[in-house]
Amino acid sequence: MLNRIRYSVAALFRRTRVEQELDEEIAHHVALETERNIERGMSPAEARRRALVVFGGTERLKEAHRDARGTRWLEDLVADTRFATRALRRNPALTVTAVATLALVIGANTAIFSAVNATLLRPLPFADPDRLVMVGENNREFLWHMADAAPANYLDWRARVPAFRDAMAYADFPLSATLIIDGTPQLTTVAAVTGNFFSVLGVSAHLGRTLRDEETWAGTAPVVVISDRLWRQQLRANANVVGTSISVNGKQRTIVGVAPSGFSFPRPGIDVWTSIGWSKEQTTAISFRRAHWLRVVARLKDKATIAQASAQLRDVAQQLKAEYPQTNRIMEAELAPLHRFLVGDRRLPLLVLLGAVGLLLFIACANVANLQLVRAANRQREVAVRVALGAGRLRLARQAITESLVLSTAGSLLGLGLGWAGTRLLIAMQPADGSMLPVDSFPVDWRVAAFVLFIAAACGVVFGLAPAVWASRRAPNEALASGGRGSGQAVRVRAWSEKLAVLEVAIALALALGAGLLVRSYARLLDVDPGFDPRNVLATRIELPPTRYNSNAAVTEFFDNLVHRVRGIPGVVSAAAVTQLPLTNPGWSSDFSLEGASAGHFSASLLHRQVTPDYFATMRVPVLRGRVFTAGDRGPPFVVVINDEFARTYFKGQDPIGQRITFDRTPDSTSTWRTIVGVVGSEHQVSPATPPAIEAIAPFTQEDSRLMSVVARTQGDPMAVAPAVRRIVSDLDSQLAIAAMRRMTDVQAASMSRDRFLMTLLSMFAVLGVVLAIVGVYGVVAQLARSRMREMGIRIALGARGRSVQWLIIRRGLAITAIGVTLGVVGALLGARVLTRLLYGVAPTDLPTLASVIAALGGAAFVASWLPAMRSGRVDPVTILREE
Amino acid sequence: MAAEQSDVLRGTLDLLVLKTLGLEPMHGWGIAQRIEQCSRGILGINQGSLYLALQRLQQKGCIAAEWRPSDNNRRAKYYRLTPAGRRILGEEMASWRQYVAAVELVLGTS
Repeated sequence: MLNRIRYSVAALFRRTRVEQELDEEIAHHVALETERNIERGMSPAEARRRALVVFGGTERLKEAHRDARGTRWLEDLVADTRFATRALRRNPALTVTAVATLALVIGANTAIFSAVNATLLRPLPFADPDRLVMVGENNREFLWHMADAAPANYLDWRARVPAFRDAMAYADFPLSATLIIDGTPQLTTVAAVTGNFFSVLGVSAHLGRTLRDEETWAGTAPVVVISDRLWRQQLRANANVVGTSISVNGKQRTIVGVAPSGFSFPRPGIDVWTSIGWSKEQTTAISFRRAHWLRVVARLKDKATIAQASAQLRDVAQQLKAEYPQTNRIMEAELAPLHRFLVGDRRLPLLVLLGAVGLLLFIACANVANLQLVRAANRQREVAVRVALGAGRLRLARQAITESLVLSTAGSLLGLGLGWAGTRLLIAMQPADGSMLPVDSFPVDWRVAAFVLFIAAACGVVFGLAPAVWASRRAPNEALASGGRGSGQAVRVRAWSEKLAVLEVAIALALALGAGLLVRSYARLLDVDPGFDPRNVLATRIELPPTRYNSNAAVTEFFDNLVHRVRGIPGVVSAAAVTQLPLTNPGWSSDFSLEGASAGHFSASLLHRQVTPDYFATMRVPVLRGRVFTAGDRGPPFVVVINDEFARTYFKGQDPIGQRITFDRTPDSTSTWRTIVGVVGSEHQVSPATPPAIEAIAPFTQEDSRLMSVVARTQGDPMAVAPAVRRIVSDLDSQLAIAAMRRMTDVQAASMSRDRFLMTLLSMFAVLGVVLAIVGVYGVVAQLARSRMREMGIRIALGARGRSVQWLIIRRGLAITAIGVTLGVVGALLGARVLTRLLYGVAPTDLPTLASVIAALGGAAFVASWLPAMRSGRVDPVTILREE
Repeated sequence: MAAEQSDVLRGTLDLLVLKTLGLEPMHGWGIAQRIEQCSRGILGINQGSLYLALQRLQQKGCIAAEWRPSDNNRRAKYYRLTPAGRRILGEEMASWRQYVAAVELVLGTS
């Protein structure tokens, strides 16, 4: 076998030499045979003739010899490719159009597929990622599903579920810490994790070691693992870093290891992994089972299945219900494969985009197939001659397919380049928090390459097939007789083209409808009143390190000073501080009870925030009843303000002012009661699409927090006062780093960035799809007009008016459009339900959207049919008829 | 002369070529002559098939070819047996003898 391949390869690369050698060998043989014949007494001419006869025909031998070399198909391919390239070069306009169309669409496919590959297909960068599961709590009253776990529940799951080899946990909120590196404070993202965090993931340190199981607990030496990025960029990749100490929030920690490059679980940009540091005494406290703030990841034993683990976990949850009725009465537990959980709701938008580019690809293929049909129709004489000369049907079909493969290869090579650029564009366009594509870049790996190769081949075959089938069915006499001008053949070609154009219109309509729905949905989102006025507000996030701000007085004093001095900046109208900005995260929540209601009556969770007195004025949140806070609300009595949502849901008709509330489900003697003093408008806590949740807001002076955002309403562009705010912060505390400084309008935009991302991309694809489909319709109608030019000339010569002749052509284009639109509407209505979960305030069957999409597409198609028809209406019959 | 010649049995041409080349390296015409001579003119060889057989054997790696001047100072392509070819020649001869003996047995019993 090996010999054979070697022989074939040699034969291929030294084709001319092999041919020459064979010629020479035959000549040598014939010469010797001739000599012998002459010796036998023949005349030289006869001797040579006999020598050749005995040989049995040298050409036949040569052919057989060539076939036996095993390179025949390759030689044909090379010849076909040369031929195809020549043919394509003869018609540069068609070729450029086809290649450009393919490159654009294959580029879009490459980019989107790379994104899908990076997010949905690529396995997690952990050892045996298939064995990892995410474990979460379910609570049907609070509508929790796979929610954060309470630490005590985590410890029980870990101890009691036999299918778990081990389970780790980490705090499910972004923590930040100030590191002092070379004397400069730097704010970094920290993950608080249990000691077995790395071992459960199966990730080992790049340098040093990872955390140890016992380091979960307080009392062990304070250690951290740092990221490869921090190590390289801030610590100059110091090889002796292990064992040195680093200041984290003012405390000295020993660096025990450097995580591998690129590792940043559980969220992007983590620089420090620190122990969660529980104390053993803490585990028995009720809060350890009541506060839910952990994500739990377990590794299954080798032989355990997901189903077994799920069943065991459910059993354990039942046991815990019985053992801890006070906290676990309605607490269930569930697990899901880690990858699926992490992909979460990114899956649908990405699949929608993948579907869209797939449809786009189909439109492009149909267009190129039509171009190829036009080209084939122009070449029917050539093909007929070749068939008449004995060219095999299969051979001709193969040639047609080769031609389209050359096109699609050129298109995909360009498309691959465009796709690479497209991945940069996707990264640049994606939401700033990295919530769509959780990676900094995505490589074009073997899956992407295979995908592009596959679609290139598929395109080549798909749009090569039509002309190929057509070529192989040709009866040569027919084409030769008609002089390549018209006849039944042309009608058949046209039927093909028209069917393809109908499909193009249908698909373009579906794409445009999808994009239209997303655009409308986004417009609805923009119209949502977020409950505050985001214009001209600068938000500055500050986190005070607990080591240096270890008393309520210190924290309160700092923020009082800061807010006071920010208000003094020229151009600042008012300033305040708040624990959680609206349109970001929901923040903390708890149970609650109202005075006079039976214990455990309220089964919803209530959001909490603390603000300084001027918050509502600064953000222009309307005060609906009662009052908001004053500087006097310091000690008891404790007061709160509730939002409108809360007032409407729980005080139907009653006046909430003066009522008392506590943040316990079952109030006892230790509960703190707070008096409701006012009702304010509801702000959207998470995003415009998420309706406001019930919320209680307490004065910062009665319940302080080290993590606050300072909001300042300004007269002009809020960023103009940013330097002044920075100066004040460093004036107050030179060791403090600012976590983030943003305009509130940017915060608002960020809360819709995912919707914008999807809408923008899908609109781009829809526009491309519609343009391609319209070009397709134009092409088909133009070809029709051209082929009926003579007929039109005769009609006009016989007295038909130009307009009625035009109508004959336009009618055809409109018929194609009408059928396409109808098919598209039916398809889109069936498929649009997919989008339901991605839409806000718009039904997938939204009639105004449908109507405007149909009108736009119909109008464009009309213009595309009218342009070529105009020309045939103006045909000069004399010129046309004289050409005959 | 063609009349009393038998065509070489299909499949035995390779064996004959290998055996002939086993004596010394030869060019195509030489092989044809040698087979005819050795069979006392009984076995005639279709020259076209000969060259295809040579190509086949070359692909299998049984023989190798090289260009060198022939006896009368022409450039000719000489084929020689490779070690693999020599081994196959041995195997093929053994199995041919077995086959002939078996056919003889059948013919002798009737």
